[in-house]
Amino acid sequence: MTVIAAVPTSGPGASEQFEQLYRSSAADVYAYVASLLRDRTAAEDVTALAFERAFRRRALFDVRRGTPRSWLFAIARNAALDELRRRRRSGALLHDVADTSSEFEDLDPDLADRRLLVREGLAELAAGDREVILLKFVGRLSNAELARVLRCSESNAGTRLHRAIVRLREVCGVTQ
Amino acid sequence: MSRNELSAAEREELDALDRIIAREPVSERHLELAALVDSVRAGAQRMDPAFAARLDAEVAERAERRRHRSLTPRLARPGLRRIALASGGLVAAAVAFTIVISSGVLNGSHTPTSENSPSGTPLIVPRTPSATAAPATSKRSPTIAAPTAGAGAGASNFAASPALHGAARLVHKDSTLTLATSPATMQGVANRIVAATERTGGVVASSNVAIAGAASHASFTLAVPSGHLDHLIATLSALASVRALNQSTNDITDSYNQEQARLADNAATRSALLAQLATAATAAQQATIQKQLNRLEARIAAEHREIARLENQGHTATLAVAVVAGASAAKHAASAGPFTTAFNRGLHALEAILAIALVALAIVLPFALSALALWWGVTSVRQRARERAMRTA
Repeated sequence: MTVIAAVPTSGPGASEQFEQLYRSSAADVYAYVASLLRDRTAAEDVTALAFERAFRRRALFDVRRGTPRSWLFAIARNAALDELRRRRRSGALLHDVADTSSEFEDLDPDLADRRLLVREGLAELAAGDREVILLKFVGRLSNAELARVLRCSESNAGTRLHRAIVRLREVCGVTQ
Repeated sequence: MSRNELSAAEREELDALDRIIAREPVSERHLELAALVDSVRAGAQRMDPAFAARLDAEVAERAERRRHRSLTPRLARPGLRRIALASGGLVAAAVAFTIVISSGVLNGSHTPTSENSPSGTPLIVPRTPSATAAPATSKRSPTIAAPTAGAGAGASNFAASPALHGAARLVHKDSTLTLATSPATMQGVANRIVAATERTGGVVASSNVAIAGAASHASFTLAVPSGHLDHLIATLSALASVRALNQSTNDITDSYNQEQARLADNAATRSALLAQLATAATAAQQATIQKQLNRLEARIAAEHREIARLENQGHTATLAVAVVAGASAAKHAASAGPFTTAFNRGLHALEAILAIALVALAIVLPFALSALALWWGVTSVRQRARERAMRTA
């Protein structure tokens, strides 16, 4: 599990540590947000917004209430859900993320098939299940961090995660 | 099994998942899960290089701005903890300052030249020696005997004090204070009452101390400069338990002004009679005028005495102190030294501050709770809307 020091709000190391958090999380945050929004442009906007908010609110970060990574993902989640609400209110159409299946062309055919299958299975999942899998697999959050982001108990987060994995297996036709 | 409970196998799988994510080895039967994690990660959306570069630049620029600001010599923005500490320090300093001031440690001889009367109008306190003059009477009475100064002044050196107009008022203060202390400490309290009275520039007009076990009692009639009355009451209150405190004021400004007006009229009449006396043609006329002048001089002298008496009433307050024996007062050690007295006064000051704080809290709390409830409601509604958006995504 990636361990990142608390985000200091002042002092000479503050900017460096925020940059470290950014470098270790930016790609994961983007992947998570993109899976929620299914729109590349919106995902970029929301990712940028999330980091901007995190930078502005770093003074409010409390290390006793979670890790910087879970704090960052919670900010990104709220921003993404606000974007979804805005879209629902304005009736804006969702644009699916561009097809990137060609990126698996160089791989072994079986592996490429499997990855495509998982990607499609993930897309078929309910948003809640997809979210919890992305937070765990890509975001690399612990169950406690997951609970913090999803605003539920740790045991509930574990249950939701396990059920999401089971559903992903089902839609992918994978047997354990 | 509750909804949130997982079986042992499921928990084991989640543990294996944590190991997979931490890139630690797992058993063979969890390799499928490892492959699933790998596939999900591999299939995750990646940032467009152009966007990644833009975001990098934005974050770097923001961090650089912050770094530049932190290098620029300026006052650091205080954190919440620092603000809380500074506020606490200020409050503590204010409390300490209040205690010191109220206990008179900084200035033992408090000599105000004026103070506000209970009605909010200024009380005139003269700077003449008569302000602290001892009253002539020895029995307990709110009436202060007039000093002889001025009473015997002849009409020739007549000089009327100015009448009081507008907000300037002459007020007589009369207070009674009942203290309770243990019989053993009765004498000590009595001694301290006398000492405190003399320290504030007052005098003991009469006193009666009887030490007789449970029936011990003491009574004092004190005359103190009006401006020092509150200070003296505070000092005496710290010596023993306060059973009762009554304070009354009597505005004597009108009486004073009337006497002044009468004095001015009589002085004018006297001047006229003196002029007539100088031009009187016969001895009979001179005798008649002289008789009138003598009567007038007597009236003027009486008016001088009355004015002086009223002034003295305004300048000197009376305080009747009764000390009774009471078991509950044992905690008030009469033998308390100046530091104990200061401590007691500090406690009184703290009580006052606490009372003010409680009133402020009573005012602020409903608003704060309303704001909190509103914030909580808005946050809950927004969060629910977000979860709804997630479900319908």
